[in-house]
Amino acid sequence: MDQILSNLPLLIVVVLLVGFLVYTGFHIGPRFLVRRIAGLVFVILGVSFVTFILGYLAPGDVVVNQLGVHYTVAGARALRHLYGLDLPWWQQYGNYLNQLLHFSLGRSWLTYSQTVWSILSQFVPVSATLGLSSLVLAAILGIPLGMLAAVRSNTRYDTVIQTVALAFYALPSFVIIPFYALAMVWLNYQGLPHLQVSGWGTWDTMLAPIVITAINSFAGYLRYTRTSVIEVLRQDYVRTARAKGLSERVVLWRHVFKNALLPLITITGPSVGFVVTGLFITENLFNIPGIGQEALNAIISRDFPVVQGVTILLAVTVALMNLVTDVTYGLVDPRIKVA
Amino acid sequence: MKIEETPDNFQALDTVGAVGNQPSTPEGIAALGGTEQQTAGVTQAELDRRAETETREATTEGQSLSPLQASMRRLGRDRRAMFFMALVLILIVVSYVGPLVWTRVGPTILTGAAGLDKSGPASYHNYVFEDLSRQNANSSSLHPFGTDAIGRDILARIMAGVNVSIEVALLVEIMDIGLGVTIGTLAGYYGGWLATFLDRFTDLMFAFPGLLFAILAAATLGPVFQSRLGLPGRLILVSMALGISVWPFMARLVRGQTLQLREQQFIEASRTVGSSNRHIIMSHIVPNLFNIVIVAATLDVVNTIVSEAVISLLGLGVQTPGSSLGLMINDAAAVIAVYPWEVVWPTAVLAILVLAFSFMGDGVQDAFNPRTKD
Repeated sequence: MDQILSNLPLLIVVVLLVGFLVYTGFHIGPRFLVRRIAGLVFVILGVSFVTFILGYLAPGDVVVNQLGVHYTVAGARALRHLYGLDLPWWQQYGNYLNQLLHFSLGRSWLTYSQTVWSILSQFVPVSATLGLSSLVLAAILGIPLGMLAAVRSNTRYDTVIQTVALAFYALPSFVIIPFYALAMVWLNYQGLPHLQVSGWGTWDTMLAPIVITAINSFAGYLRYTRTSVIEVLRQDYVRTARAKGLSERVVLWRHVFKNALLPLITITGPSVGFVVTGLFITENLFNIPGIGQEALNAIISRDFPVVQGVTILLAVTVALMNLVTDVTYGLVDPRIKVA
Repeated sequence: MKIEETPDNFQALDTVGAVGNQPSTPEGIAALGGTEQQTAGVTQAELDRRAETETREATTEGQSLSPLQASMRRLGRDRRAMFFMALVLILIVVSYVGPLVWTRVGPTILTGAAGLDKSGPASYHNYVFEDLSRQNANSSSLHPFGTDAIGRDILARIMAGVNVSIEVALLVEIMDIGLGVTIGTLAGYYGGWLATFLDRFTDLMFAFPGLLFAILAAATLGPVFQSRLGLPGRLILVSMALGISVWPFMARLVRGQTLQLREQQFIEASRTVGSSNRHIIMSHIVPNLFNIVIVAATLDVVNTIVSEAVISLLGLGVQTPGSSLGLMINDAAAVIAVYPWEVVWPTAVLAILVLAFSFMGDGVQDAFNPRTKD
C-alpha cells in the first residue's frame, strides 16, 4: 500500500493513459492498440536491457570506487550483496524487471537513502518546463512563418524564410550558446542590462535556454506547415472557394489553414524526441539541474540505477508521445486508418 | 448561400472519391513525418520519366538522359547547393592538406616553459605540441588563431578537429549505408523474420534517443576501447554507437522503396526470363535505391558531426591530446570571458561545417528527390 501511495503521480498518469486508450479503442479498434502496447512493452524491455548490459560490461568496479580508502573485503562483499551485484547477470536483470513490474526503479547507488524515483521527480519538472515551453514557443514561431512561406511559395520571402530556418535548425545549440554567453559578458562589461548565462529558476536564467531550444526546433514546424499548406492550396475545394468569389482572406483562414494544421499533430511525437536529445547539451552548458544533467552525472559516476531510470523514462515518454500522436491523428482525421 | 457556410462539405465530397488519396500524395506522406516516403502512389519509374522530360525540355538538344544524369544536372543548376558543396570540399582539402603545409611554415623559435628550447614549425605547428611560454596567446603571424591554455596552436588543432569530424562521419555513413541497404533490401524483398526484426529494432531506436545511447556507450565502454586501441579507439566506439543508432532509419527507407520496386513490371519481366533473386536484387533493386540513399546519407552527415562534437564536448569522446571541435569548445568554454577567441574559432568552424553540409544536403534532396519540390 505504501508503495502504491508513493507512486501516486505515476498511478494517475497510468490511469489517464489507460482511459484515453480505452476511449480510442472503442473508436479505432482494439487490434491496433494491442499491437502498439505490445510494442511499448518490447521497447521498455529493449531499452532497459541495452542499458543494463552496457553497465554490466563496463570496466571498473563501482563497489571498489565507492569504498575508496575504506575498502575491506567484508565491506565490499556486503555492499555487493546489497546492490545485488553478487548474482549472475541474468538474475540481476531479472530482479530489475521484477522491480519494474512493481513500478519501482530501485535505489540510487550513490545515495542509497534515495530511491531513483524520488531523484527523478526532483529533476523532471525542470526539464519538462524547459522542454514544453520551448516546444510551445517553437510552434508559435514556426507555424505562422510556415504559413507565410507557403502562401508566398517560391518567392523571395519563401527562400529567405526557408534558408534562415534551415540555418537555425542545423546549428546545434552549443554553437549558439557560446555566442550568447559572449554577448552577455560583453553587456556586463559595458554595464548594460543583461541576462544570466547559467542557472535556473528565475526568469532571467530561464529565458535564454528556452528561446535557444525553441529556435533550434522551430524549423521542423515551419517546414511541415509549409508543406501541408501548399498541399491544401492545391485541393479542388480551395479552387472552388476561389471560383465562387470568396476573398483570398476567407479562403486562406477558413478553407486552408484549418485543414492544413491537422497534419502538424504528427510531428509532436518526433519533436519531443528532438527536445529530449537537446536537453543534454542545453542543460550542461547552462548548468540547469534537469534530467539531462542528472543523467550525465549518473553516467560519469556509474550510478546505474539512475541511468536506467532516466533511459527508461525518456524512452517511455518518446514512445508514448508517438503512440498518443498516432491515435489522436486517427481520431481527428477519419480518413487515416491506423489499423 | 449554404455552401459557403459549410466548407467542410466540400472537403467531404472531395475526398469521397479518393479514399486514401491523402496519404498517397508525396507531400501528404512527408507531412505525416513518414519515414516510408517511398510508399507513395507515384512510382519511381514515373518520377524518373518526369525528371527526364523536365530536363529534356530544358536542354535544347533533346538527347535522353539517365535519371542519374538528370539529377546531377539539376544539382549542377542549383547555385546555392554548388556553393556549399564547394565549401565542403575546400574544408576537407584544407583540413587534410593544411597540416602538411602548416608544419613547414614558420621560423625557428625558442619555446618551452623557460623559453630555451629551439623548435621549428614541425613541432610548434603540430596540434599536440605544448608551448608553455605562449599560453593563451593572441593571434600573431606565428599563431594566426592564437594558442590555447597550454600553448597549442589553435589553427592546427582546428584542422585536426575537422579531420575527426569527417572521419567519424565517414565511418558512420559506411555503417549506415552498409547495414541499412543490406538489411533494408533483404527485409523488403523477402519479408519474414528479418522484416519483423527490423521493425522491432527501429521501434527501439526511435524511443532510445541516439545521442543518449552514444553517450552511454562512450562513457561505459570508452576506457576499454581506449586501452585496447589507443586514442582512436574512442573515435571508433563513438562512430559505432552512432552508426548503430542511425542505420534502422536508413533500412526503413530502403525497405519501403524495395517493397514498391518489387511489384514493378520490370522486376516481373526479369523474373519471367529466369533471373535469380540474387540477380534481381543486385542489378535491378539496389541501383534504383541510389537516389533515396544518397539523400538520406547526406542529411545524416550533419547529425553525425553534431553528435560527435556533443560527445567530445561532454568529455566522453576524443581525449586530449587528441583534437576535436567539441573538445576545443569544452576546453575553452571555461575561459570564455577572458579569452573569447579560443571559443569563437572552433565554434565558427563547426558552424560553417554543419551549415555547409546541411545546405548541400538540402540541394541534393531537391535534385535527387524531385517530389519533395513544390
